[in-house]
Amino acid sequence: MSVARDVRQVAKGWRWAHRPLPPQSAEPHFTFLEKKEFSTDWARSRPAQAAREVILRGGLGPLVRRETAVQVAGLDIFDDLTGPAVFVANHTSHIDTALLLTTLPPAWQRRVTVGAAADYFFDAWWRAVGSALVFGTFPIERHGVGLSGTPEKLLAEGWSVVMFPEGTRSPDGWTRRFRPGAAALARANGVPVVPVGLVGSFAAMPRGRGWPAPGRPPVHVRYGRPLLAGADENTLAFNARIADAVSALLDEDRTDWYSAARRAAAGDTPPSSGPPTANWRRVWASSASPKTDKAPRAWR
Amino acid sequence: MSRPGFVLDVDQRTPPLLVHSGESFRLQEFPLGTRVVYPAESLPAVPDLDEAIEDALLHPVDSEPLPALLHAGMKLTIAFDDLSLPLPQMRKPDIRQKVIEHVLQYAADAGVDDVELIVATALHRRMTGEEIKAVVGERVFRSFWPDQLYNFDAEDPDALAHLGTTDSGEDVEISKRAAESDLLVYVNVNLVAMDGGWKSTAVGLASYKSLKHHHNAHTMVNSRSFMDPKHSQLHSSAWRMGRIINEHVKVFQIETTLNNNAFPSRYGFLQKREWEWSLRDQAMFLGAKQGIDVMPAKLRRNTFQKMEAPYGITGVTAGAVEPVHERTLEKVHQQQLVEVDGQSDVMVLGLPYLCPYNVNSIMNPILAACLGLGYFFNMYVGKPLVRKGGVLILHHPVPWEFSTLHHPSYVDFFDEVLAESTDPKVIGPKFEEQYATDPWYRHLYRTSNAYHGVHPFYMWYWCAHALDHLGQVIWVGGDRRAIARMGMRSASTFADALELARDTVGASPSITYMHSPPHVLADVR
Repeated sequence: MSVARDVRQVAKGWRWAHRPLPPQSAEPHFTFLEKKEFSTDWARSRPAQAAREVILRGGLGPLVRRETAVQVAGLDIFDDLTGPAVFVANHTSHIDTALLLTTLPPAWQRRVTVGAAADYFFDAWWRAVGSALVFGTFPIERHGVGLSGTPEKLLAEGWSVVMFPEGTRSPDGWTRRFRPGAAALARANGVPVVPVGLVGSFAAMPRGRGWPAPGRPPVHVRYGRPLLAGADENTLAFNARIADAVSALLDEDRTDWYSAARRAAAGDTPPSSGPPTANWRRVWASSASPKTDKAPRAWR
Repeated sequence: MSRPGFVLDVDQRTPPLLVHSGESFRLQEFPLGTRVVYPAESLPAVPDLDEAIEDALLHPVDSEPLPALLHAGMKLTIAFDDLSLPLPQMRKPDIRQKVIEHVLQYAADAGVDDVELIVATALHRRMTGEEIKAVVGERVFRSFWPDQLYNFDAEDPDALAHLGTTDSGEDVEISKRAAESDLLVYVNVNLVAMDGGWKSTAVGLASYKSLKHHHNAHTMVNSRSFMDPKHSQLHSSAWRMGRIINEHVKVFQIETTLNNNAFPSRYGFLQKREWEWSLRDQAMFLGAKQGIDVMPAKLRRNTFQKMEAPYGITGVTAGAVEPVHERTLEKVHQQQLVEVDGQSDVMVLGLPYLCPYNVNSIMNPILAACLGLGYFFNMYVGKPLVRKGGVLILHHPVPWEFSTLHHPSYVDFFDEVLAESTDPKVIGPKFEEQYATDPWYRHLYRTSNAYHGVHPFYMWYWCAHALDHLGQVIWVGGDRRAIARMGMRSASTFADALELARDTVGASPSITYMHSPPHVLADVR
């Protein structure tokens, strides 16, 4: 059947089940065409919120806890926090969003959205619909097409926003440069930034893996004190302060709160960008699971 | 912002690539490492076409403005390209209509009564009234058809004027009306670098006596290529003739250039880079292909022939022929030129349904050969995309099918001449004169819609450079008998064609696929 053969050829050639990629020699000639922003308003409607709550609490949360050993710290910050905030975390794995959303207190979980790469999560309708429904994502252009007005609108409507300012998952588990978008957004809207340190997700599910490694690898989610931009603080300075706060949380996870705080005060926090060593050593170090203070379970 | 053309190296990420094959197209997987020459995206069209035409007529190059050349009592002739340009036919209004209307408005304002419009068909078939109306528009057609708007007749001895011979002994015989006018305005559509310049008048309005000096095997073998006028003997000859014409009549040349927007939007996938095909493009490809494959042949041909290109006009230049053409070539190169690093062992082409000589007609095997070995092979400057002794692989069904209305002498040429020899240098001296002077072919050319009796020879001469240069020509998916008659080889699939090519270029040849149409002119370094 020529119809079936042609359909198979197109499906294979255009990678229907996967992400389309331009040929390597065509990359310099490849431009991301400006697309109309995929509307995600429906994903914040009451029925969609209800569906997401069921998915996060009844499906994704238990699944994350079954596949990984999650430890959460710093949830006390939510006692004093009111109104919308921008959550800023380091990013090494697809599991990061699930970790963050499933560890938020329920009241916050219901009113949070996630900025996701438009060219990755919104390039196909089924992926866009799926991620918007499950994670409450909205598209962010990361190829210089221009800032979307959506995050500002969301903050104004009382939604909190999760952003990964590195722009993409770290290839070696260490933190990359923070782009200033999240800082600018928080500063412009006068909302606090909650720094979040995610540890162990690179070891649990790095790039290339579609499911966490077997053996319930430990992952840590550490929420830090909210940061507000100072009256005289510009975006770049605020962005640097946010990056330092995330570094301090990662340091705290490796050591303890007090010694990390002392190093932070002295400006001696080890850079979260990792040591300037050979790439394999960086990957080697970050692919080790964090130490866990939980006793191993008798029954797995 | 339109992106320039470029050369792709096929890798594992490369989807199958679109290949034209007559009145169909297919997706073809190419071996890793194959180079694919992609045309540039369409350049932006001029924002206001009427303003661009006015500007060209009022500020011509090396000439007085058109209004200053027009006066009451003068004899004005407007000649224009026939339906062999552009391809596909352009969406209405045709650029020739727009330009001619502007010229005629100035002529009316100046009180010019003696105006004639000639379709510069040379030895091409006469255009029908409807075809002419489609080109010049209803207003011009109603004002001048049929007495002052007509097809050129290269076989009417009373309508020809012998203007002399060039330094190289070439006869210059063109339309008497054009030669004896006070002003000859030529309206050109410059689709590719071969068109325009003195070729417009010295070829389009010339008789067989004149044309035979450059339309022959020797000239074509030494035109490398005829898409590069500076290295084309065909053009050198036309330029010599043009200078003789220039001594007799003032020529005001109006040249127009088109962008690469060759297909209507619903067939947009035909001119998009495959990895950028949206889901809609993929669906359109699948739908169009399945639809075309099940259509009756006649409906399929009509569907393709009715396709109108939404070409944009990238420039209008008027004035003296040679400086105007220099500017035109710059525009054409800006749109079509793509740098390619070196030649390859094998060149691959997908031939579409249309060439200049089968508009509203059938592409017979000779025309298919002319399109591939003549036009597409010659789309280079510098040196051919394929090395001397290399292999050309062409995708086309090459049906053994002729239009007896449009191509009567082709039938006999195919049966009689090619059966004896396929060497252009052999068949020319032996058969050309006989076909060129055959009274029946001449009658059909003058009174019906037939190409001139000698025309199939010209088509075969068009292939002469490629036939001389190549080691082997292989057709994929074509009629085996027709291909054998032309002295070439057939393959059922592209893989088989590469297997056949092993005899000539070895087991691991370098391959270049020219992804055209839209047009691409390879600048091979």
